[in-house]
Amino acid sequence: MGNNGDSVLEMYLYETNTLLEQLDNIMLTAEQADTLSQDDVNEIFRIMHTLKGSAAMMEFEPLMTIAHRIEDLFYLIREGSMDIIPEKDRPQLFDMLFQSIDYFRSEVSKIENGEPLSQNIDSFLSAINTFIDKIKGESQASESQSGQAPAAPADESADGAQAGAAGRYSLRIFLDEGCGMENLRAFMVVSDVKDRCQDFTYEPEDLENNSDLSAQIAEKGFVMHFSSEADRKGAIEVASGLGFVKTYETFETAETVQPAETTQPAAEALSSASASKAATPVQEKQPAPSKPAGAGAQANPSHVGANHQVKQSLISVNLSKLDQLMAVVGEIVITEAMVTASPDLKNLDGIRLDNFNKSARQLRKLTDELQDISMSLRMVPVSSTFQKMRRIVRDMGQKLGRRARLTIIGEDTEIDKTIVDAISDPIMHIVRNSMDHGIEENEQDRIAAGKDPEGEIILSARNTGSEVIIQIEDDGMGVDYDKTLQKAIRQGLANPDTEYSNREIINFLMMPGFSTNTEVTEFSGRGVGMDVVKKNVEAVGGTVIMTSEQGKGSCTTLKIPLTTAIMDGMEVSVGDSIFTIPIQNIRQSFKATDEDIIHDAAEGEMINRMDNFYPVLRLYELYGLEPKAASTADGIFVWVETGEVSYCLFVDELLGEQQVVIKPLPAYLNNFGIKDAGIVGCTILGDGNISLILEASSLLGPAMGY
Amino acid sequence: MNDENMLFATEDEQLAAQEETEEIVTRKFVLFQTANLLFGIGAEDVVEIITNYPITRVPMVPAYVRGIINLRGQTIPLIDMRLRLNLPPAESDCIIVINVEDMLIGILVDTVCQIIDIPVDSILPVPAHNAQKYVSGMSSMTNGAGTMLVLDCPLLLAD
Repeated sequence: MGNNGDSVLEMYLYETNTLLEQLDNIMLTAEQADTLSQDDVNEIFRIMHTLKGSAAMMEFEPLMTIAHRIEDLFYLIREGSMDIIPEKDRPQLFDMLFQSIDYFRSEVSKIENGEPLSQNIDSFLSAINTFIDKIKGESQASESQSGQAPAAPADESADGAQAGAAGRYSLRIFLDEGCGMENLRAFMVVSDVKDRCQDFTYEPEDLENNSDLSAQIAEKGFVMHFSSEADRKGAIEVASGLGFVKTYETFETAETVQPAETTQPAAEALSSASASKAATPVQEKQPAPSKPAGAGAQANPSHVGANHQVKQSLISVNLSKLDQLMAVVGEIVITEAMVTASPDLKNLDGIRLDNFNKSARQLRKLTDELQDISMSLRMVPVSSTFQKMRRIVRDMGQKLGRRARLTIIGEDTEIDKTIVDAISDPIMHIVRNSMDHGIEENEQDRIAAGKDPEGEIILSARNTGSEVIIQIEDDGMGVDYDKTLQKAIRQGLANPDTEYSNREIINFLMMPGFSTNTEVTEFSGRGVGMDVVKKNVEAVGGTVIMTSEQGKGSCTTLKIPLTTAIMDGMEVSVGDSIFTIPIQNIRQSFKATDEDIIHDAAEGEMINRMDNFYPVLRLYELYGLEPKAASTADGIFVWVETGEVSYCLFVDELLGEQQVVIKPLPAYLNNFGIKDAGIVGCTILGDGNISLILEASSLLGPAMGY
Repeated sequence: MNDENMLFATEDEQLAAQEETEEIVTRKFVLFQTANLLFGIGAEDVVEIITNYPITRVPMVPAYVRGIINLRGQTIPLIDMRLRLNLPPAESDCIIVINVEDMLIGILVDTVCQIIDIPVDSILPVPAHNAQKYVSGMSSMTNGAGTMLVLDCPLLLAD
């Protein structure tokens, strides 16, 4: 049962998040256009309605209340089109909606984390209410002033004044059968009622003079329309007092009926069926629909068709199931290698294996295909991550008083779901940096530099086949190399006596420690949390490259492998153990002798490569293994480099390059902190043995004693 | 009052008598030997018993973690029962794969003996002053084969 409740909650969260994202997108486009199209209004109304409904179902009272009030607000806007909100109030409306999106988001995340909802919504609620009242007040004012109030299309009909004044409360009166001269008797009723109240209409109108109407009135009665219930009551009293009135019935009609009925046979006009008939043509003619029910039903489907991409047939699948699938596919790939490269086959000297080989090739092709498909299942477009940046650019632009637009290129590019989650924060960080430090504070500066006063940030993604390249480019003022270098020297990251290239200087920005100083904001350069960005991107196997031209702007490039589940690795052996080093971390491998090794005071070893000294790390020492290579000359050095660390790893032997499927280590082993000792996973080799995957950057930590 | 007490007492007695005559609640145990100790693991925790698997050493872990094994594509850590009990190591390749809190763990033991049913109420708590490590109860074997120590798997994994 508990499980069941969870899945309902999961559905709720999924649905709500999707709707909020949709809402965010609508609002961002709308804000640029500074108006909401009728489609948008309908869409927002629908979203709020759904939010309200599902919140009510889950008993999230505050969420329901807020959604309900916004729904009310959009009901008004939908009734009266965007015109009822004057230009000057629109920013307020947009802000309020963004606020509400944020509010929903924060509450939803509270629900996700199992925290209690905040009950304190009064101030927000009252802000919405004030706004609603304001709109109401203004729409009424404009109605009475210009007579163009969209809610009263009847005003535009031919018999304007009369119809506008009366109509809602109707009374149909039937006269005694065979009383004769029905038209005149009806007119008597009308004139008697007129003594009582003035504000009403009746039909047929020419009762007094048109005796042809008698038959019609005898059969179907005649109708009076009053503007209030009280007037109608008075009329009923009058009519009942007259001897020839047989009976009467009361009914309500909408004002819209008025214009229609003048053109239709009178007697039919007021049945409720004809009321809705009348409403339909009205709505076709007028952009602002007057009957909510009809408008809602008609506008929504047309909107979905027009404004959204064609709906794909999608199902949502739990990510853990995809992980399982990936795991099984990984197994199949390994098993396939195990079968086709089985040592038993090698013992079958002289026996032809034509059929076996043919089948094995077929199997290989199919497993490759299976692997491709199962990997593509986990791919999602980066668009949702990119779209979130619009909001950041907007919010920061408002806060900092800078104008900037975000151009998105290649948002259809697909990346592994886990990677999308991992790079979302880094991208946000970089976009923030671009807004904060990149785009000039002063528009005048931009104009002086010959740039468009409005800053531009270009967010692009493209797929090169083996990796995805994400670029965040701005046309701001770029990195101030001198100041950056000075700061790096002050932070002790750079040596004051060394000449640094611009590329090296920019790399200081990504060093841990550079950005911890609060002074960063006074710099024109970058540096807020770039080390974190780098770490996050490297955690998914990617790299960060920054380039910048002073005065022209900067560009940050994230290169991310398409998937981290399968990688190219170099198998090395130390004693009986086999380790896998990611190929992308290896710079070169080389042989060396004891003479090449230089010892430092702390017994550390170093080796000279390409005019630089690099520490030597002997894997057998680090892991306490029995090496097979008796001396330095017997083994081999692997020069490993990731980001900031670069060193030479001494191993017994290189076994060869191999594509490996990365498997996490059993959870139990993580208790011993072997991740910090450089072992991040394992992989199963073709012969069924297990190889441990080494991560170059964390390997150096224990060796250097920190 | 007295009558009432009497009434309750007889009812209780009746219930107790009924329970006795009904079936004895038993639990299945897998018995294995490590050095001279006889252990039992609740059969519901045991996934399978395997022999002759190549063990991959994992550095930077305590000695009793012998490494990991590849069990049909799954990597499973292996704990040497002797080393865990600070006993001298011995050659053995008999592994009991158990499921502890949704983790698969292999235990390297000397020999696996048998699976037996043991009445639940014959399992006695371990004397407090003589508490064996990783043992949650003990039971004398009816066939006089010694005393079974009930292995507490979560304790075995805890540091």
